[in-house]
Amino acid sequence: MISNSSRIIGAVEIGTGKIAVLVGEIARGRSLNIIGVGVAPSRGVMKGEVVDYKAACEATHHALEMAEKRAGTRLEEVWLAQTGGHLEGFYNEASVNVKSADNTVTALDIATVCGLAKEKELPAGRTCIHEIRRPFRLDGRAVPDAEHLSGRRLEVGYWIVHGHEGKVSDNIHVVGGYHLEVRELVLASLASGSLLTTADERLHGALVVNLGKGITDYVLYRDGHVLVTGTLPVGGDHLTNDLSIGLRVTTAQAELLKLRHGRGAVQTRDKADKVWLNGDASFGDRQLPKVSIETITAARTLELLEVLKQKLGPAFAAEHCGAGLVLTGGTSKLPGVEEAATRVFGLPARRGESPAWVKDELKDPMFSTVLGVFQFGLRTAQEQAMPARRKPGLLSNLTRIFATS
Amino acid sequence: MNAVESTSALPAGRSWRNIRQEVQPQAMSRKGRRRQRLEWLKLGALFIFTVIAAGTVYEVVHTWETDRAALATAVHSEAVRDVVLITDGVLTQKWVDGVLGLPKSASLMALDLAALRDRLAANAQVRMAVLTRSFPDTLVVTLQERTPVARVQVSEGLGLPKQLLVARDGLVYDGFNYDKQMLAGLPWLDGLRLVRAGRGYEPIAGMGDVAGLLSTAQLQAPHLYRSWLIVSLARLAEHDEIVVKAQDIPEIVFSRKRDFFKQVAQLDYVVDQVRMLPEPALQSVNLVLEGQVPVKLQNTPEELAKLTAPNFFLQPPQRKVKRDL
Repeated sequence: MISNSSRIIGAVEIGTGKIAVLVGEIARGRSLNIIGVGVAPSRGVMKGEVVDYKAACEATHHALEMAEKRAGTRLEEVWLAQTGGHLEGFYNEASVNVKSADNTVTALDIATVCGLAKEKELPAGRTCIHEIRRPFRLDGRAVPDAEHLSGRRLEVGYWIVHGHEGKVSDNIHVVGGYHLEVRELVLASLASGSLLTTADERLHGALVVNLGKGITDYVLYRDGHVLVTGTLPVGGDHLTNDLSIGLRVTTAQAELLKLRHGRGAVQTRDKADKVWLNGDASFGDRQLPKVSIETITAARTLELLEVLKQKLGPAFAAEHCGAGLVLTGGTSKLPGVEEAATRVFGLPARRGESPAWVKDELKDPMFSTVLGVFQFGLRTAQEQAMPARRKPGLLSNLTRIFATS
Repeated sequence: MNAVESTSALPAGRSWRNIRQEVQPQAMSRKGRRRQRLEWLKLGALFIFTVIAAGTVYEVVHTWETDRAALATAVHSEAVRDVVLITDGVLTQKWVDGVLGLPKSASLMALDLAALRDRLAANAQVRMAVLTRSFPDTLVVTLQERTPVARVQVSEGLGLPKQLLVARDGLVYDGFNYDKQMLAGLPWLDGLRLVRAGRGYEPIAGMGDVAGLLSTAQLQAPHLYRSWLIVSLARLAEHDEIVVKAQDIPEIVFSRKRDFFKQVAQLDYVVDQVRMLPEPALQSVNLVLEGQVPVKLQNTPEELAKLTAPNFFLQPPQRKVKRDL
């Protein structure tokens, strides 16, 4: 039974490997209870992008229906995770001279500089997903909120994430096909990043890497702010594919081998150590050297992480990543991935752990994105519950005019 | 995450929010179409419910205004079996039954409560009357009654003088079922002119002040109040004075402009002081002035001096000293 003072929110992740839906109840705008979970194997989605609308709809709607049934309620709006190789980001900054005579920064100065920093045109066919503000700089010094401070020059920068309009709308329409409205699009990397790191860790600098089935999302935090986000169209599927080619087995068999014996770093030394392909003594079952499986998966993992490091480029500096590297996503469950990550990035790496409020059955790394989206929904609801900031009235506007004249 | 700004403020054409979210029914899955149909069904049901509710309200209001008897048949109600009286005064069930005069077969729903209430309120002893239907067969009558603060004697034509009661609001009425001893303790009003209004009289002006004085005296100095016989309003309108005649003091003048509590306290003090005299007899006490209380005694000062003079010589007779030289 849902109480009157509560609000129902839904979080949806349409991933390459699975589709996850969470239904939660926000009681009195504060506490959050997960009351329904729906998970379905993904279909019609490749590298985080919808390639078969009908199949994607069937799978997503199945997960949505399952979550609604378990929650015993009906969703009206959802927060949707957005990922895909089409996502890109760029940094744009702007600066203004503080207008007031006494050099005090006003809300108007802030609005002007923010507007200028976000003004940059996007290429045709692109749509904006997020605009992430970095701290203001007042005469060169970084300040979280510049209003009422004194200075001459106010600067601000935005990390703007945009995606292919058609692909974003495909994602939205899959949910719309269930007669549901998408309330917010949340970048998958941001969702998992905010869930798995604390404010302190983000302040010290942290790199969160979500190793998905088809996509690897990442977010780099520095000084408590998002520095860079991005995606790599490489994921666990590539490991499976390499195993399939290298060992001449089917994709399904390769997937099983990866899950059973795959590793991020080679551990087996004995070449004679062999494992059964199917393990059920069926016709065609054969033995494979375990070291081969580990070598293939470890090589691919290292390569993936190397590509990621290259993509991060100069933005990544180990000395600015005090909190280390946090790994999540289904592929991060592969043993030895932390070791590989430490070798590539020269940072202590760990598997991300969900906060205490997350139920045990959802603590699997593959749920970190949908849980992060869920957390985002809670924050949005809390912000809405708070009274809006009062706009300056006529009297205060007049006072300001006289004060500045 | 805190620094992520909403994209709703983005210029048109940039934000993902400009993407149309609705999809064609053909592009919906079976489950989506079912959800949509269910929503339409709910909306339709809500619309129908609203229309029915609005229609019902209109019909009830219309019938109430045009044909109330029809409502009686629509609502399950029976003949009135019981009339329950709730009152804060002395009126009785029998009196209420008599005034209402309900026919035995009267249906509860068919009763014209407004008319019945007016019938009760026609008696000045009833300050407020509320009638409520308690289905299926009970009429609840809740009364608030006036309480008398004084009496007034009225001569109507050649008949005998008649005693009427006066309430705090100045309304003059014929009291019913009051305790006779209580009525005997009420002072009489004098120095006023009652004006006819319909079957009764117009309310007495300034009665609120008189009631204030009487209740203050009754509460603060009951021993004084008990001796008050007549309260005169003759000087009230012109001089703002209330004149009281008590058993032992022919004239006590109060001012309605001063605090009654202070005046009563001053009177009490004067009476106490006078009691200490050998023959305590006050002619009048004037409490109108703020700083002093002129008091007139029944005995003149000379008489009083005689009364208070000692009946022995103040100085003993001088003796002549005889000396033998």
